Amino acid sequence: MSDQQHILDAAALHAEEALIPQSDWFERNETLQKLRKNKKFPTIWCSGCGIGVVMGALIRAIDHLGLKNDDVALVAGIGCTARMPVYMDFNTLHTTHGRALAFATGLKIARPDMKVIAIMGDGDALAIGGNHFIHAARRNLGITALVVNNAIYGMTGGQYSPTTPLGGRATTAPYGNIEPPFPICELAITAGATYVARSTVYHALELDKFLAEAIAKDGFSVVEAVSYCHTTYGRLNKLGTAADMMRALKDDSISKTAYDALTPEQKAANTKIVRGKFVDIDRPQYTASYANLVTRVQTGDK
Amino acid sequence: MPEAVPQAQPSSPPPAPVKKGPRGEVTIYATWCKGCRICVEFCPPKVLAMDPGEDHPRVVLPEKCTACHFCDTHCPDLAIVVRKLA
Amino acid sequence: MTIKLMQGNEAIGWGAIAAGCRFYAGYPITPSTEVAEILSRELPKVGGKFIQMEDEIASMAAIIGASVGGLKSMTATSGPGFSLMQENIGYAAMTEIPCVVVDVQRLGPSTGQPTAASQGDVMQARWGTHGDHPIIALSPVSVRQSFDLTVRAFDFSEKYRTPVILLTDEIVGHMREPVELPDFETIRLPEYRLTQPGQEYIAFRNEPGDVPQMASFGIGYRYHITGLFHDQVGFPTQRLDEIDPWLERVNTKLEKHLDDIRLLEEDDQPGAKVAILSYGASARTGRHALKLARAAGKKVDMLTLLTVWPFPEAQVEALGDKVERIIVPEMNLGQLAYEVERVVGRRKVRRVTRANGEMVTPQMVLDALEG
Repeated sequence: MSDQQHILDAAALHAEEALIPQSDWFERNETLQKLRKNKKFPTIWCSGCGIGVVMGALIRAIDHLGLKNDDVALVAGIGCTARMPVYMDFNTLHTTHGRALAFATGLKIARPDMKVIAIMGDGDALAIGGNHFIHAARRNLGITALVVNNAIYGMTGGQYSPTTPLGGRATTAPYGNIEPPFPICELAITAGATYVARSTVYHALELDKFLAEAIAKDGFSVVEAVSYCHTTYGRLNKLGTAADMMRALKDDSISKTAYDALTPEQKAANTKIVRGKFVDIDRPQYTASYANLVTRVQTGDK
Repeated sequence: MPEAVPQAQPSSPPPAPVKKGPRGEVTIYATWCKGCRICVEFCPPKVLAMDPGEDHPRVVLPEKCTACHFCDTHCPDLAIVVRKLA
Repeated sequence: MTIKLMQGNEAIGWGAIAAGCRFYAGYPITPSTEVAEILSRELPKVGGKFIQMEDEIASMAAIIGASVGGLKSMTATSGPGFSLMQENIGYAAMTEIPCVVVDVQRLGPSTGQPTAASQGDVMQARWGTHGDHPIIALSPVSVRQSFDLTVRAFDFSEKYRTPVILLTDEIVGHMREPVELPDFETIRLPEYRLTQPGQEYIAFRNEPGDVPQMASFGIGYRYHITGLFHDQVGFPTQRLDEIDPWLERVNTKLEKHLDDIRLLEEDDQPGAKVAILSYGASARTGRHALKLARAAGKKVDMLTLLTVWPFPEAQVEALGDKVERIIVPEMNLGQLAYEVERVVGRRKVRRVTRANGEMVTPQMVLDALEG
């Protein structure tokens, strides 16, 4: 096959402008059955944005678990990451900034049998949504919190967020950020999450695995997907192209196994992103506990 | 010095060298691709290429594809698909 | 049910149960807390679910999420909490998700006097959230009405796909009156939502009819709900040819059904040249003044608004045509009076206001009736 034959041209691909056709695109890739057939593509994100990589990992994880589309609900806040759900063929709820977990709480309690995944950025989940994050973890609600950490407020043009590295420049930190960043995973663990893992968009297959485990988990599960924004954060801090920054995620990260083997001094000096599964325990899940309460009340055994 | 014993000539031609064909077939969905070059820069055997000014990559060494799936799991636009060949 | 001495807030709780509410999420705040306490006790008995969320913002979000998940849902709060809920109230209004928000008004602004009454949230109920949006707000005058209007609130919210505010106050909420509630079996609200999968579904279709049928998540219709301006399918859009018809439909859907939504009580006397117009706790003052005035031989009309929003312009205009003066007693500085003035003209309206936690007295109304 010549290289030209590998490229399906626009006219062949689309019956109407930019709508997904019932073409061999979907037949060839089972996973892509999870995308909405009536939604306009390509996606809204910048060229090279890792959020698209995370979306691929998410649909591969859901496909791997064999979940029915009707049984999955995605609840998003506001921001670049929160634009993810509209592209996927599930029950999708795009809510207000920071409140995805609160909406998801109501939905999960109403439909404990559904898989509810909250999709949030770092600002959405940890700044305005910080309170809801810690309480959802404390309650151990059976919700998966997918937090894409791009270290910035991307949608609004590049302001610093609770995860912007110390010293990093942003449009509202023109002299460098003086606020230490939140360690998302450690925060989740302390608040009570029963599954906590972190990976990066370079390590996409590891993300697949963590997401599948997190979604299958009956408890509050947190997956942090690191994908620094090259359009805002990267440009303001001269970190290169999307490909350069993906390479940096590979070079500047360390597996949990390797990190655990470091000496205390090395650990204290570590600046690399630690990737791995930090917690995977079992605690009573909220909707199960409430169901027990209802049984107790209804059988008169108060 | 004794003469070398002449070797018997083989009666069948020598086996042909094994031709390593591609292990994966690459398809690019040009209208979804935004030209970020991640697939081009990370493909280990350099199957893909994209010149400055081009808006999507081309498959230049299709026979080298090992179906490692780096490109299709890292494409932000799900615009490249690798199908494993039998 | 037998006759019981019941508190207004308790009647709201029972109204919710009777209407089929099976989810409550809230945050305690005086003087609404009894609603939460009663539902925390009663909901599990009927297989419903109760949760106390970490704040009012989360409470409002949770009831919207639960409604999307298929449960009739409610929260209760007071002024400061109501202020926190505003963003998500606007979200529910524009995504057309049914839910009931009880606001037991107390004296504000700010922390104010938590145990004192007011009607200070009238305008907040209409305009608290940013942008142009429709809303229904109902104000009970008695304990029995607290029950009845809660039931109506759930019906309206499902029928018109809108948040409905039960705009009550600390007086009606905390008072106790003897009531005989109806048998809950006799209260069966119609099911307006889609319950079976299989039909072609356009979640926010503008035609035919003003209110597209809602499908709860997880029953077989997978669609997108967003607070962004969206097309009929539910996807975000910036196209005017998609936005304009949607805005038109959402912002006029209540106006088109005013006959159903606009609840009020009229007490007319032929020949009356003056009227009292009120709502909530102040209507009790108004009725007392009415009794005294008529006993003294004065002819007075009274219009009690049970539906405060949408404002019943036609009825108030007709009243303004009949009488020379409309007295509007309220426990704020004239928030509903603004609407009356808008419809009949300022010269015809006499405000009788009190915003310090005390009820407007019958004597204040009588003085106003005298001119």
